[in-house]
Amino acid sequence: MSLKRWKPAIALIAVGLLAATILAGLDRLTRDRIALEQERRALAALTELLPAERFDNELVTDWFEQPVTGLERPVRFYRARLDGQPSAAVLDLVTSRGYSGDIRLLVAIETDGTIIGVRVLEHRETPGLGDRIEIRRSDWIRQFDGASLDHPAPDAWAPDRRGGQFDTLSNATITTAAITDAVRLGLEAFDSLGDALWTRESEMQGLEIRPDLSQNS
Amino acid sequence: MDRTLTFRKLIWRQGLWQNNPGLVQLLGLCPLLAVTTTTVNGLGLGLATIFVLVCSNLAVSLLRSTLQPEIRIPAFVLIIATTVTVVDLSLQAWWHDLSRTLGIFVPLIVTNCTILARAEAFASRQPPISALHDGLAQGIGFALVLIALGAGRELIGQGSVFADADLLLGPWAEGLTVQMMPEGWGLLLAMLPPGAFIGLGLLVALRQYLIQRPVAAPLTQDMNTRTAQT
Repeated sequence: MSLKRWKPAIALIAVGLLAATILAGLDRLTRDRIALEQERRALAALTELLPAERFDNELVTDWFEQPVTGLERPVRFYRARLDGQPSAAVLDLVTSRGYSGDIRLLVAIETDGTIIGVRVLEHRETPGLGDRIEIRRSDWIRQFDGASLDHPAPDAWAPDRRGGQFDTLSNATITTAAITDAVRLGLEAFDSLGDALWTRESEMQGLEIRPDLSQNS
Repeated sequence: MDRTLTFRKLIWRQGLWQNNPGLVQLLGLCPLLAVTTTTVNGLGLGLATIFVLVCSNLAVSLLRSTLQPEIRIPAFVLIIATTVTVVDLSLQAWWHDLSRTLGIFVPLIVTNCTILARAEAFASRQPPISALHDGLAQGIGFALVLIALGAGRELIGQGSVFADADLLLGPWAEGLTVQMMPEGWGLLLAMLPPGAFIGLGLLVALRQYLIQRPVAAPLTQDMNTRTAQT
């Protein structure tokens, strides 16, 4: 058995080892930075809804998750506190009823159950139609500001196409309904938790950032 | 000296026009069709592809004497996958916001057969300098098609050009966006997948029209150049 026969295999192993070394080294080099950047971005998304003066706790790490019927992933409840007192909650929730896949929302809620604001974090809705749910494309999402479970009345908590109070984006009925329902489900989950929302232990262990939808699938 | 210069010229002409990966080889259609909904998307994927193509061409060319024919393809795949991961991780760490917009496109580069094709057909037989030129030429050729298709679809579908340029190039680029048509105008078809196929078909047809226009050229010569291309 000559060494020559083994040469290709050895060369391939060498290339594989080289690739593994490069990637392992780069991973060590970038891991902390990537985690830091993700945290910065998570905080930026939260503070867009909730001004920094509304909380003085570590908002990004003060959360727990709980499954909610009708929503895709467990809802993550972020708790904003000011001087140790509850200030507001931000819900990170995902609905699978979008027109083309999951839609991820952030819903900021006052302690009394009034919505501060809603933002779409991720979606794959049709460009030009469904993507008007993004704040940079239209003001549509702002119509939820100030809403709560009894304002509008429970039977009006739906898009106007279905006899409700909320504007329907033209040619994006499914998208509209998905978001309206998801926001209502979020409010209901907030409501049913009651005081437990503020007293429950934080689940955060170390630096753990919620993966994006694209990385899930 | 003169011969290398002619060879260089040939490499560039091949990449940009005669053997353009997007319009002639029709390679890398998956990323090409999937992400070209806007000019900026096209530009972003184009830049990432150029980078990966140059790196993989260079690596393959440097290792070409070590890589026997039996293991060439698996070794190329390893090299390409490594390069793409390096780009992905670096973007996430140092250009995080850019990686948010390009996030899904970067792993898509792995599915671009142009890169494997260049490694196999060119870089594994040529010295590093030529491989570098070839990577740049083919990459830029591909990027130009991406940008053209992205711009066309964006213009017809949304009535704008360079929308969201700030996401890719930073805040200064906000002024680059030109809204040609009133807001809300647009042919939805152009933004949907069929629009990508139709758009690419039109681009290929345009190129065919341009190369066949000089009718005076002798037919036999035309046939020869065409076989040489395939």
